[in-house]
Amino acid sequence: MELEKFQYDNKTVKMFAYATIVWGLVGMLAGLIAAIQLYLPSLNLSLPYTTFGRVRPVHTNAVIFAFVGNGIFMGVYYSLQRLLKARMFSDLLSKIHFWGWQLIIVLAAITLVLGKTTGKEYAELEWPIDILITLVWVVFGWNMFGTIIRRRERHLYVAIWFYIATFVTVAMLHIVNSVEIPVSFWKSYSWYAGVQDALIQWWYGHNAVAFFLTTPYLGLMYYFLPKMAQRPVYSYRLSIIHFWALIFLYIWAGPHHLLYTSVPDWAQSLGVVFSVMLIAPSWGGMINGLLTLRGAWDKVRDNVGLKFLVVAVTAYGMATFEGPMLSLKSVSAIAHYTDWIVAHVHVGALGWNGFMTFGILYWLIPKLFQTKLYSQKMANAHFWIGTLGILLYAVPMYWAGFMQSSMWKDFTPEGQLKWQFMDTVTKMIPFYIARSVGGTLYLAGAVLMTYNLIKTIKAGSFLEVEEDEAPALKGDYVAHSKDHWHRWIERKPIQLMVLSLIVVAIGGIIEFVPTFLVKSNIPTIASVKPYTPLELQGRDIYVREGCYTCHSQMIRPFRSETARYGEYSKAGEFVYDHPFQWGSKRTGPDLAREGGKYPDSWHYNHMLDPTSMSPGSIMPQYPWLLEDQIDGNSTMAKIKAMKRLGVPYPDGYEKIALSDMEKQANEITANLKKDGIETLPDREIVALIAYLQRLGKDIKSEKVTDKK
Amino acid sequence: MNLLKKTQYGLAFILLPLSGFCQSESIKSGSSYFSNALFLTLFITIILLAILIVALGGAFKNIADSDYLINKFKKDEESNTNSTKIVATLLLFVSSFSMFSQNTVAGLKDDGRIGGLDSFTFYFMIALVALELIVLALMLFQFNVLIRTSKTVKEVPKRESTIMQSLVGAVAVEEEDSILLEHDYDGIRELDNDLPPWWKYGFYLTIVVSVVYMLHFHVLGTGDLQLKEYENDIAEAKLAVDEYMKNSANNVDETTVKLLTEQSDLETGKDIFISNCAACHGRAGEGSVGPNLADNYWLHGGSIQDVFKSVKYGWVENGMKSWKEDLSPMQIAQISSFIKSLKGTNPPNPKAAQGDLYTEGEATTQDSTRAQTMAQHTGADTLGTSKQ
Repeated sequence: MELEKFQYDNKTVKMFAYATIVWGLVGMLAGLIAAIQLYLPSLNLSLPYTTFGRVRPVHTNAVIFAFVGNGIFMGVYYSLQRLLKARMFSDLLSKIHFWGWQLIIVLAAITLVLGKTTGKEYAELEWPIDILITLVWVVFGWNMFGTIIRRRERHLYVAIWFYIATFVTVAMLHIVNSVEIPVSFWKSYSWYAGVQDALIQWWYGHNAVAFFLTTPYLGLMYYFLPKMAQRPVYSYRLSIIHFWALIFLYIWAGPHHLLYTSVPDWAQSLGVVFSVMLIAPSWGGMINGLLTLRGAWDKVRDNVGLKFLVVAVTAYGMATFEGPMLSLKSVSAIAHYTDWIVAHVHVGALGWNGFMTFGILYWLIPKLFQTKLYSQKMANAHFWIGTLGILLYAVPMYWAGFMQSSMWKDFTPEGQLKWQFMDTVTKMIPFYIARSVGGTLYLAGAVLMTYNLIKTIKAGSFLEVEEDEAPALKGDYVAHSKDHWHRWIERKPIQLMVLSLIVVAIGGIIEFVPTFLVKSNIPTIASVKPYTPLELQGRDIYVREGCYTCHSQMIRPFRSETARYGEYSKAGEFVYDHPFQWGSKRTGPDLAREGGKYPDSWHYNHMLDPTSMSPGSIMPQYPWLLEDQIDGNSTMAKIKAMKRLGVPYPDGYEKIALSDMEKQANEITANLKKDGIETLPDREIVALIAYLQRLGKDIKSEKVTDKK
Repeated sequence: MNLLKKTQYGLAFILLPLSGFCQSESIKSGSSYFSNALFLTLFITIILLAILIVALGGAFKNIADSDYLINKFKKDEESNTNSTKIVATLLLFVSSFSMFSQNTVAGLKDDGRIGGLDSFTFYFMIALVALELIVLALMLFQFNVLIRTSKTVKEVPKRESTIMQSLVGAVAVEEEDSILLEHDYDGIRELDNDLPPWWKYGFYLTIVVSVVYMLHFHVLGTGDLQLKEYENDIAEAKLAVDEYMKNSANNVDETTVKLLTEQSDLETGKDIFISNCAACHGRAGEGSVGPNLADNYWLHGGSIQDVFKSVKYGWVENGMKSWKEDLSPMQIAQISSFIKSLKGTNPPNPKAAQGDLYTEGEATTQDSTRAQTMAQHTGADTLGTSKQ
């Protein structure tokens, strides 16, 4: 057989590796700042750009899409070429992919800090960036499939199945969830409203975890772990079953983020059972990883990269067991809205994604630079500092979450709530401090790694040209009769992609379509009316400042919640909410029935200095809302966009919207004046007060027309 | 193997009190404990940690069984003392723990409950968790030492225990050539091991559970969905509260409330006022966002019954929230009495008077809006009220 010579593209791998390190440090630093702001709100320096509601999306987007994203591409570009015995399809596409992705990250950071956000968690980026992401993602897929087509290896290894599933599913999730109607260049409204928006958002959010943080990293594990341990993969059969089961089941589990909300019961139950069924397929990955090390545990002692990988796989196993447990309704009733969830995701993020990335970097960088790691000792120190950091992060958060939830639910024997919400906030402070110490340690470990790797890079010389050879594939392949049946699809990349797409599409379709078509899923409420123009402007300010990062707008049907916040939320109340703002965390109280609870002047004073109205509050101050003017010019476009989304404003309303808005603003200003507060009617605070005073008022003393 | 036996002794010592504890609990009042979320969490944590300890013990056993360790022990006697040390520490911990639990028994009289658990149970369980964590840490440390010290010894392939092998259902490492597939991807080979049986049957089990779950809630309708669950919960709580209130001094409402004049009541009223009302009405009742409470003028009536009513139900449309979910009837009576005592104190920076002049002894206000607003109140009742 004739051997073909070819060269691997190491340069793109190197660039993605650098980007991974840089964005990792940035993202973790943003997380640390956000963590400290929870007990030191003044760390925002009184600037809108550095306030928690904007820093938190920067942190989540940076660690997920910048740190882990570049980590994925680094690992894929390295392993794909070697598993297929082929150079990447096109150097130009590689370049466009790399720089395109970095451009997206920079744009994301700038726009999020400026408050340009869609208000949907982990999908905050506005529509122009959404389009850019789609394009760059297509470039990535094109480059990957081009390489696959030109491969010199007949069958696709399990890592590549995971890469392909990642590619198609992320594309599907991103496109469906990002359907939005532009109002201006940096402002859009989600196409979906209320319950539907929530279902689609958490279908996306949950599967961003599944197909951005999990499946590609499982692919990386399948390459780098056996490579480092120099052991055969434990079980080929297990790979097949857990791959297909995982991608099929994962998609369905989204509604477990919405248990006890106004989402229809049947959708919630699907979320529960599919999460439970996910335990085994998830653990399949862990088992295949850990048992690959059978007979090679001594190598774990010597190879620091492998050490990181072992902890990563273990953390993966822990998080994927905890996840299904949290999806049980009785556990979710306790854990939802608390720091327990924060602890859970960080075990996954710091343990699984972080440690996996570190482990790969420690192995890959010396290889790329043809040298030894600068300091094994330092890497070992990183390992222990990082592990300690994870523990110090997670344990206080578990404790805090559990404690806060218990306090929320406590009643006195006389039947009163035992604790003010504020009591439960001040009790959290020590835990927040401990958590930030854990985060600092983890970041310190990453800094140590960066230093170690820089030293390594300086000492080595980059292997730009790495040659390899393999025979070309011939068309006339005859399958062995005793081959496993699955070998067939391993030879057919396109069929594999199409089948993956079908498998992942099923769950979403079955969960969404009924909520769009069957009316009884969202009973309408006659008294629920569209927002007034001023309230709409106020709502956009609410979204811009990221209020949803700390406040929920969804009262669950629990005695402890209806006693504290008022009547539980109904599906029909959210039909004009583009996007929904249910939130996922209650650092502050729920706001679903905030309207009318306090006078306008209370809100005015509270935004200026929250502690003046609620002593002990850890909410940051929003002085700029008192100064900045409402963007009145956008009102017409916003009403028009809402009408196009089906919000029933009267015909031609957009023309009189502005004068309506001024009228309502004047009323609020007059109301404030009665309490001795002088303000102009065109200030943002007025719009925000209008919105907050509207929240949850529509159904007071109203009955649901179409009760289930 | 010496070490192995000692480890097992240690384990037995830890698990013994645990099992005894479980039994005694289930005899006393099993169901009420298991309906407590804190108890359940701690209980599960304890079990999980115990499983971990046992698993680690198994790993010890594996290492202990392997030939190279035997060689090592022959050469290196020092670590033998090491293993005695760990068992000694374990025993020490167990004994100190039992002392601790005696202490808490002595302190049982203390009425304080933590997270719905009596303090004895709480500390007992926390102590168990702590103990297990310490044991785990020690074992991990020892494990590390074992592996490290074995470094110098020539490595002989170790054999897995039969338990481990049947658990993973795998072909032994030394015979794995027989199931090595011909796949070779960049040097990565694949074995054709069977699925671990516990994994496979576990997977089947979750599927069965899921089907039963869906049947239970959505086909047979035997399970309560969330709104039904809510109604049950509210009804249950109402019963419990009514039962409690029957025999309680707290049993006052707006028709039976009397002005309290005891100094202790007024002091308590003042404390509650400062922490809940002062933000809007001023620390001395001078008013800011809310009206002045230290003058003779009242928006909604100035009798003790009226003030009680205003605090209890609020005037939501004017920004005064209802406090009946936050404060007990007695506490509302105390605040109302304290507020009444503010009259004529003339605090600095008073807010201008609002409402009607009230003279003591005047009958409860009869203003015409009352009937209507009371109707609203009833509406607000069913909606529940806020607490932030």
